[in-house]
Amino acid sequence: MHSKLLKQINSRETVIALLFLFPVIAFSAAFILFPIFGTFVNSMYRDVSYLPRAFIGLDNYSSALTSTGFWRATVFTLLFAAVAVLLELFLGLLFALLLNEKFRGRGVLRAAVLIPWAIPTIIAGRTWQVMYQYSYGVINFIFTSSGVAENNINWLGTSYSAFWAIVLADVWKTTPFVVIILLAGLQAIPGDLYKQAKVDGATMVKRFTKITLPLLSPVILVAVIFRTIDSLRIFDLVYVLTGGGPGGTTQTLSYIGYQHFNNDQFGMGSTISVIMFAISFAITIVYIKKGNFKKGIN
Amino acid sequence: MFFALTPFLWMIVISVTTEPDFLITGNVSYTFQNYRNVLTSPSLNFPAYLKNSLIVSSVTALIVTIITSFSAYAVTRFRFPGRVAIPVAVLALSMFPQISIVGYLFRLFSDFGLTNTYAALILPYTAWTTPIALWINMSYFFQIPTDLDKAALVDGAGRVKVLFKIILPLALPGVFSAFLLVFIMSFNEFLFALMLTIDHSAQTIPVGIALFQGIHGEIPWGNLMAASAVSSVPLVALTLLFQKYIVSGLMSGSVKA
Repeated sequence: MHSKLLKQINSRETVIALLFLFPVIAFSAAFILFPIFGTFVNSMYRDVSYLPRAFIGLDNYSSALTSTGFWRATVFTLLFAAVAVLLELFLGLLFALLLNEKFRGRGVLRAAVLIPWAIPTIIAGRTWQVMYQYSYGVINFIFTSSGVAENNINWLGTSYSAFWAIVLADVWKTTPFVVIILLAGLQAIPGDLYKQAKVDGATMVKRFTKITLPLLSPVILVAVIFRTIDSLRIFDLVYVLTGGGPGGTTQTLSYIGYQHFNNDQFGMGSTISVIMFAISFAITIVYIKKGNFKKGIN
Repeated sequence: MFFALTPFLWMIVISVTTEPDFLITGNVSYTFQNYRNVLTSPSLNFPAYLKNSLIVSSVTALIVTIITSFSAYAVTRFRFPGRVAIPVAVLALSMFPQISIVGYLFRLFSDFGLTNTYAALILPYTAWTTPIALWINMSYFFQIPTDLDKAALVDGAGRVKVLFKIILPLALPGVFSAFLLVFIMSFNEFLFALMLTIDHSAQTIPVGIALFQGIHGEIPWGNLMAASAVSSVPLVALTLLFQKYIVSGLMSGSVKA
């Protein structure tokens, strides 16, 4: 009798719970899950404006995997993500450590560090574009007038400098996010640990490597995974700064996916999208496994 | 500090000078004409972009805040199958690159005649920003003792009433930071907005700024930077004003794990 009653209450709770969760589930299913499924199906079709739509199995995949444009974009995307995330992590840790110290004006600095995060990426990209401008951009002005460079550098015009131009703009835009996350991690470390270590005569370097780094490593991991997933899908900065150029050398996977869609090549665009999805999925699995989500809910 | 501010300041400098090449010509003259242009010139459509961005972002933030409040209440107050799996699955979905769904949505919205409407942006933005808001709200709701709800329930209040009269007022800082983050994320989004809208009747600020072209090929930097400044200043002001909420939102949205 008692257990039956409990069951009734529980099933009533389940109904209300699912009712409360319904909008969230419906939105996620309709506008993320379902489209991903549809994209997967589309990736196996020849879907261009000038020919009838036809099922072609994995043909899109084999033509993607044998095209130089795809591999160039893959290499560029991976290289960009690796370099950008490393730099962001290094700078983010440096700034977080600085902002964790007590000094006058810390509050103002902590606020200022958020400004790049708040500015839309497209607007940040446009601003960097005018700063990189060849003949009168402020960066070339500083380089030439300080004697670092003899002549103006065509920042966005050569593939090598364009890579670094995009990296720099991205690092500027997203390091604040890393700083905030790491700062939160630093503040969670009990100050007593450092006091004790000081009493025991541990040097600053030792305190950093033996206390700060190990205790901060879960937070660092979260920051790295978030930033990696985000930088692999880079699109906005490339669109504004280089448009994939010069000569397609700064195209990213998102960018060529977009170009296919934009040129009415929906099958091929979907194929690129599925490949990107697979890469993110693999990283997300690692994240879900590493992040202790169950503990957060129970 | 220098690193963080320079580009923003440079945007302002360019926006108030008549010619962007003053560094090499040496002729600096200041003007507000660029601001007057972007705010009044009918051909630039800037006020329309701004209006679209504000409407899309506010409506998205409002919807997301409401639906994730209900969901977070369910996850933190009820025991049911899927209590852990659903929030984790929703979070996982948001990790996927936008490009992997935008092509399909383009087709879907074309079929339903939704392309180039506010709904074409609000619907996917809602799905996209739900996870972070859900996790922020959950982390705040967990901190409210369940005894408070139980007392109200015994007094005969319904679940919805408990959520609105007890939980939401107590979790207001969390709900507010979720609202702010969703607003900022929607305001900044570009790829969906680029593909799912066609003209200034639905295009948002990022699209307007990205497609901003001069009549003669050369980019009108003064106008462009004035438009950028007008669009960034509200976001920067919001961020500085509500820094505490944004930081705590970012933290509970990602470090919670």
